[in-house]
Amino acid sequence: MTRTPDPGREFRFAWRSKRQVARDIDAELAFHLARRVEELIARGLPADEARREAASRFGNLEFTREYCRAEDDRRERETRHTTMIDELKQDLFYALRALRSAPGFAPVALLTLALGIGANTAIFSVVRGVLLSPLPFPEPDRVVRVWHTNQSENDLKSQVSEPDFKEWAAATKRFSSLSAYWYSSGGSGADLTGIGMPERIQGAYFTPTFFETLRPRAQIGRTIRPEEAIEGNDHYVVLSDGFWKRRLAGDRNVVGRALTINGIPYTVVGVMEPGFTYPADRIDFWMPLSNMGPDAIGRERGSRFLDVIGRLAPGATIQQAHDELASLSRLTAEREPAARGWTDVTMLPVHDALVGDVRRPLIVLLGAVGFVLLITCVNIAALLLARATARQRELAVRSALGAGRGRIIRQLVTESLVLALIGGALGVALAVAGVRVLGTVGAGDLPRATEIRIDGVVLLYALGVSTLAGLIFGLLPAIRATSRNLQSVLRAGSRGSVGNAGQGLRAALVVAEVALAVVLVVGAGLATKSFGRLLDVDPGFKANNVLAVRLGIAYERYGEERVRGYYQALLDRIAAVPGVQAVGSAKDFPLRGAGELRPLTVPGSARGDAEKSVRLAVLHVSADYFRAMGIPLREGRTFTTADREDAPPVWIVNEAFAKRYFPNESPVGKVVRMGPVAIQIIGVVGDFRQKSLTEPAEPYAYIHYPQNMRSGMSIAVRTAGDPLRYANAVREAIWSVDRDQTITNVETLSAIVGDNVARPRLLATLLVLFGVMGLTLGVLGIYGVLAYAVSQRRQEIGVRVALGATPRAVLRLVIGQGMLLAGIGVTAGIAGALLLTRVMATVLYDVRTTDPATFATVVVVLLGAALVASWLPARRALRIDPVQALRYD
Amino acid sequence: MAQTALGLLQGTVDVLILRTLSWTSMHGYGIARWISDRSDGALAVEDAALYQALHRLERKGFVDSEWGTSDTGHRAKYYTLTPAGRRQLKSEVAELRQYMGVLFRVLDTA
Repeated sequence: MTRTPDPGREFRFAWRSKRQVARDIDAELAFHLARRVEELIARGLPADEARREAASRFGNLEFTREYCRAEDDRRERETRHTTMIDELKQDLFYALRALRSAPGFAPVALLTLALGIGANTAIFSVVRGVLLSPLPFPEPDRVVRVWHTNQSENDLKSQVSEPDFKEWAAATKRFSSLSAYWYSSGGSGADLTGIGMPERIQGAYFTPTFFETLRPRAQIGRTIRPEEAIEGNDHYVVLSDGFWKRRLAGDRNVVGRALTINGIPYTVVGVMEPGFTYPADRIDFWMPLSNMGPDAIGRERGSRFLDVIGRLAPGATIQQAHDELASLSRLTAEREPAARGWTDVTMLPVHDALVGDVRRPLIVLLGAVGFVLLITCVNIAALLLARATARQRELAVRSALGAGRGRIIRQLVTESLVLALIGGALGVALAVAGVRVLGTVGAGDLPRATEIRIDGVVLLYALGVSTLAGLIFGLLPAIRATSRNLQSVLRAGSRGSVGNAGQGLRAALVVAEVALAVVLVVGAGLATKSFGRLLDVDPGFKANNVLAVRLGIAYERYGEERVRGYYQALLDRIAAVPGVQAVGSAKDFPLRGAGELRPLTVPGSARGDAEKSVRLAVLHVSADYFRAMGIPLREGRTFTTADREDAPPVWIVNEAFAKRYFPNESPVGKVVRMGPVAIQIIGVVGDFRQKSLTEPAEPYAYIHYPQNMRSGMSIAVRTAGDPLRYANAVREAIWSVDRDQTITNVETLSAIVGDNVARPRLLATLLVLFGVMGLTLGVLGIYGVLAYAVSQRRQEIGVRVALGATPRAVLRLVIGQGMLLAGIGVTAGIAGALLLTRVMATVLYDVRTTDPATFATVVVVLLGAALVASWLPARRALRIDPVQALRYD
Repeated sequence: MAQTALGLLQGTVDVLILRTLSWTSMHGYGIARWISDRSDGALAVEDAALYQALHRLERKGFVDSEWGTSDTGHRAKYYTLTPAGRRQLKSEVAELRQYMGVLFRVLDTA
């Protein structure tokens, strides 16, 4: 029973297919039966009887065949698993050993990867929290925001008056529920007393069906029912999670408790879940609008103060809903003089309305971090290529020992993945820190900032990005490294021309890297320039050394007769604080509120224009407001204490008003009419930016506060030095008039201006950060390729020097190569930037996306950096001693 | 009669195969012949049971197989004992011996 090995089958494939297994078994059993038949014939049986006998002696052939197949298949599966796991273990072991044995490479690669993946994870967590995660109530995509629109005044997103809203709510068929609320950042507050320090808390006042429209869940208790929001039965309040934890220490028995708000007890009905903060992150409570008496806010058609939201009826589209409310508006506009022009509405899904402003900047940032990571990948791919060249002997040995090409590629890619995953883990750690910073910086400026966190989804994203990065930078060098005949490497000895083949690919990678860096740096440059332009804007007031104090007077405490006296007493007491140079007050600070809109009739001008009705922004101010704010008086006079409530009404207007309504003549002394009231214009002040830094001043009229009292006070205190040093003295001065006066906020005017540019500042800062990362990596790439090229070309350069090449020529050789790469990269990058920075158009202020100066600067910076990166290897080339270089191996 | 006895001693086919292969590697037919020759035909293992056992033993890692050419010039599948198979043979023989010892002690005293 000896055998001769079958050369073809000796080296059996590790894995057999099911078909192969079946074939093998058939062959084995056929062999057995043939031999048995032979044996029986030899014993003298006739052939057909021998076959029958053999079959009968065998037993159940079919069952045995099936049995053997099942056993063999199972064995194949098991070996396949163990082989794969064994090989993976092997690969991981090699990968870790390879990384440990590359002390220069691994830390650099890990650091850049950690930065790249960290930046991506951090920005993605913001994008997810703000843009992607659903709002915390059911079917948020069915909820829309509605604004009133006046096309003729180009007022597309105005709030809605109560009469308009009530008509809509009564008539609508396209909304299953339509509600409104009044909320104004820093404005719609109320005084909380009776527990601890008196405090001005921020809230929203809603119409009865508000919670039916949004349908959010309360974590404790419940929301307020429509029947609990009707005058006479409306002293109920729902609290935000933030307020509940901050002021009530998370008391779980809070439902049923009474809180004193504006001096009246309100019963707490529930506490909302942490995620629900609609309509603003900083909100403390929700209460029925009916609690705001008609004296506090006008309920006539001209008083547009409500934000409207609606849940679309089943089957209704946003377009149908729009058409319905627009046609209702047209009817009203024809009927009511006060509604003239308000013939349309604007609607947006509520999520878009909340985050629409930040979508574009966030997408720009996400793109930018994507570029950073791409550059990182390209950079590491280039490093790996260089390493693969150095490792060719190792790979050749492995190949000679029987490892197939696929096996070697698998091993190299495993190495890259291990690298990427370690880098990713470090990156997540960086992202955790980064998100904390972003959350702090973005709070109040970024909508839904409370939703930003690193959770499972973000971690999964980081894992995906890391894996993708590992594949991107690992696959190309791995395929490249194994594409040559590795056996020839062994014969070629330790050196030879092996390295130069990868050099072309490395050069291409460097070009890509530079191109990507150019796009990033252009983006950073544009954002920076835009931000600079914003900072250069002259707001029209002098923001330095002004303390900004906001408070609300509790009207009911003083009553109509005494409230003016109280208002003036506050200003007088603050003015008496030593070091205070001027004190003035207005209803709204610039950039924090826009005042109010009023219908106004302007008389015909000297040029013969007819009398016209317009809507005008008005702001209630105290006499010294302009002086305190550093706003110059251009003409006429400012208010005096003589302009009292019983004196003839007078206005001061700004230059934009004068230019628009009284072109080529002085408005001073002119009379305009607001309804039946005739008002004389007594002065003109310089324009200043009230709504935002980016919008030029609109026509404004300023009303002296005693002639039209408002309870909100924004007090500007001009001081001799750092205004915050006066904060305590000013607070004491206020409390010396009334111990129980709540103060909403104390800050500086500069901080208000700073807040207004916070978002562009953040965008510019982050883009510059990413731009610098990209630039650094690009420059390192150029340096790496050139340094390597010089070391590879030692002999050639040595020969050149020996043959009399001047240092100049050697320099030109090396630097020329570097600048060629940089030049191609920059050209490609500029083309890419022209294409890609277009998405930034809406986030830039006063800078075009093709700004030539920015592009020129980027070209100079990139080429300059490339020059430096080429200079160092070139100097090394100069130091090559021809004799030594020629002798070297 | 012999086949009935073999049916009673479930698992002895495995031991017999392992024992057979402990001499040299063989194909299935060779194993059948060897067992039958050594027992003078008394232990005629059913072919179906033999092949089922071979494939089961291979799956368990006690034997290994490869294709070769038989002395008659045909392709045949040869089985070899693995180190694990050798250990298994030793422990099964010991177990069998002990079992038989106990069995016969009982039978003899009865």
